[in-house]
Amino acid sequence: MHFFNSGLFWFLEGVFTCLTVIGFKIWMEDRGIPMPFWKWILLGIWVFFFGFTIAFIGTNLGEKEPKAALLGGIFFGLFAVITGVGLWRVLKIGKKS
Amino acid sequence: MDRRQFLKATGAASATMGSIGLGFFGYEAGRDPESYTGWETHEGAQQTFNRKRYARDYPHYKKVGPTSRADARTDVIFYRRGDFMRSWKDNTGIEGLPEHLQEYYRKHPDVLNQDLYLMKEIFPKQRADYRKYRDKFILASAWSNAMGAVSPTRINQPPEKSDFPSRRRFGDSSEPLKMKSAKKTSKLIKKIAHELGSTLVGIAKLNPDWVYLYPMRGRGFEPDKPLEVPKHWQYAIVVGTPMSWDPMYANPNYGTSNDAYSRSRIIAFRLASFIKQLGYAARPHTPGTDYDLMVPPIAVDAGLGEQGRHGIVITPELGCNIRPAVITTNLPLIPDKPIDIGIQSFCKTCKICAENCPSGAIPTGDRIEVRGYFRYQIDTAKCHTFWSSKLGNMGCRICVAVCPYTRKSNWLHKAALKVSVNDPTGISHSVLTGLQKRFYPGPDPQKYYIPSLGGENASYRPPPWWLRAEDFIEF
Repeated sequence: MHFFNSGLFWFLEGVFTCLTVIGFKIWMEDRGIPMPFWKWILLGIWVFFFGFTIAFIGTNLGEKEPKAALLGGIFFGLFAVITGVGLWRVLKIGKKS
Repeated sequence: MDRRQFLKATGAASATMGSIGLGFFGYEAGRDPESYTGWETHEGAQQTFNRKRYARDYPHYKKVGPTSRADARTDVIFYRRGDFMRSWKDNTGIEGLPEHLQEYYRKHPDVLNQDLYLMKEIFPKQRADYRKYRDKFILASAWSNAMGAVSPTRINQPPEKSDFPSRRRFGDSSEPLKMKSAKKTSKLIKKIAHELGSTLVGIAKLNPDWVYLYPMRGRGFEPDKPLEVPKHWQYAIVVGTPMSWDPMYANPNYGTSNDAYSRSRIIAFRLASFIKQLGYAARPHTPGTDYDLMVPPIAVDAGLGEQGRHGIVITPELGCNIRPAVITTNLPLIPDKPIDIGIQSFCKTCKICAENCPSGAIPTGDRIEVRGYFRYQIDTAKCHTFWSSKLGNMGCRICVAVCPYTRKSNWLHKAALKVSVNDPTGISHSVLTGLQKRFYPGPDPQKYYIPSLGGENASYRPPPWWLRAEDFIEF
């Protein structure tokens, strides 16, 4: 059992997630962007996919499969960027000027 | 900095830290030795797949016509080619071969050509290349020999002599102990098998169609006399362990079957001994050639997995990285049910093993009728010809290494497995196969050959550090 497979690691990930959500909420409030529940759901799905992409790259590097890490990183990473741009446009709906 | 700014900065830092953490989590998950299924524990914790959910009343192969039993003398490649090489003489040709081989080769002249090709073309080239390139594979050979160095005494007595207990520590040796129930006994036997080190264990009612019509040599049967299936071979217990993962991925040069063969063999003999101590008959059928029956269909019957395109049983836990052994017994047991985890649908679209097989032994077409059953049929002559040409440890096992199911047990591959086995549409099978082909490609199959046969001695993946002879030995 390594630190990055341990319960403590996932506890810390949970703490980071909470702090990120709080910071993001304030940041969106300051920009005048409302965040109803459906936007949080969309954001959650995107964050899950983004996290998957990072973990995919790491896992394949750990497995000594650099080609899978590179190709998967490009494939899933591009997808994450494109959907991220789209998501940002959706999140901005209802922005107060 | 005010409170809001502080919280925003903390949020941004946390997002960064969390993302980096996920990367490290993935890296550790990828390199973690605990993801090598089979070695973490010998207590059965690795048979983790919930088979009950996927249990079916009938196995995936279909009975499509009158069945017949395999003839070990001709259908088992080692047996046939061993006999052929011992008895072939150029001046007498086919007429000088034993009668059963003459009959077989007259029906299958293409196989005779392949067997001659191995003897006359492949072996001389293999010997020449072996002298040139063997240094590279010395540690791999040493490792393989070490794993095969310990083995139980081979059974060379007929079932009526060897299967029954001769001496027991407790109880009247003439009477089997009265077991409380078959259900409890099955649970006990599985526990014992796991305690003995078996990664997977399953129980089947023995289908006599899987017993060789003409048996293997050296098993105590009269040669060239049909084997009558003994009445006490009622149940078949299948045990199995994986080959060591890193060398397995470095096939065909650095892997060995000996490690898993040896472990499964020892487990089977120990389990047979345990059963005999209860007063029941038991006979181990173990790798490499000490069988009276065909193991893969029995493993399917016992619910360990499904037979794939390459002919090997694909299990949810180990993929096809499994070397099984069987114990036939009359100990009353409850058979497990075969499972359907979508392998037939997956293999239909995947074909990665067939495309990566250097010998072209694995079919790209559909299943066919073989001795009354509908299944994939590999060309064993082509397969054996290729692996006889190799310089490291004899064998190939590329189909095992490239199979998408033979992946380490980490979150990524577990998730892919979960999607695959629960998809009745087959859409995920095409997607996963596409990703596997692009993300985890192997060398051009021709490169697996020895230089004399136009290859480069390539391996699917580089050898582990402890098998790189050039790093340890002065040449």
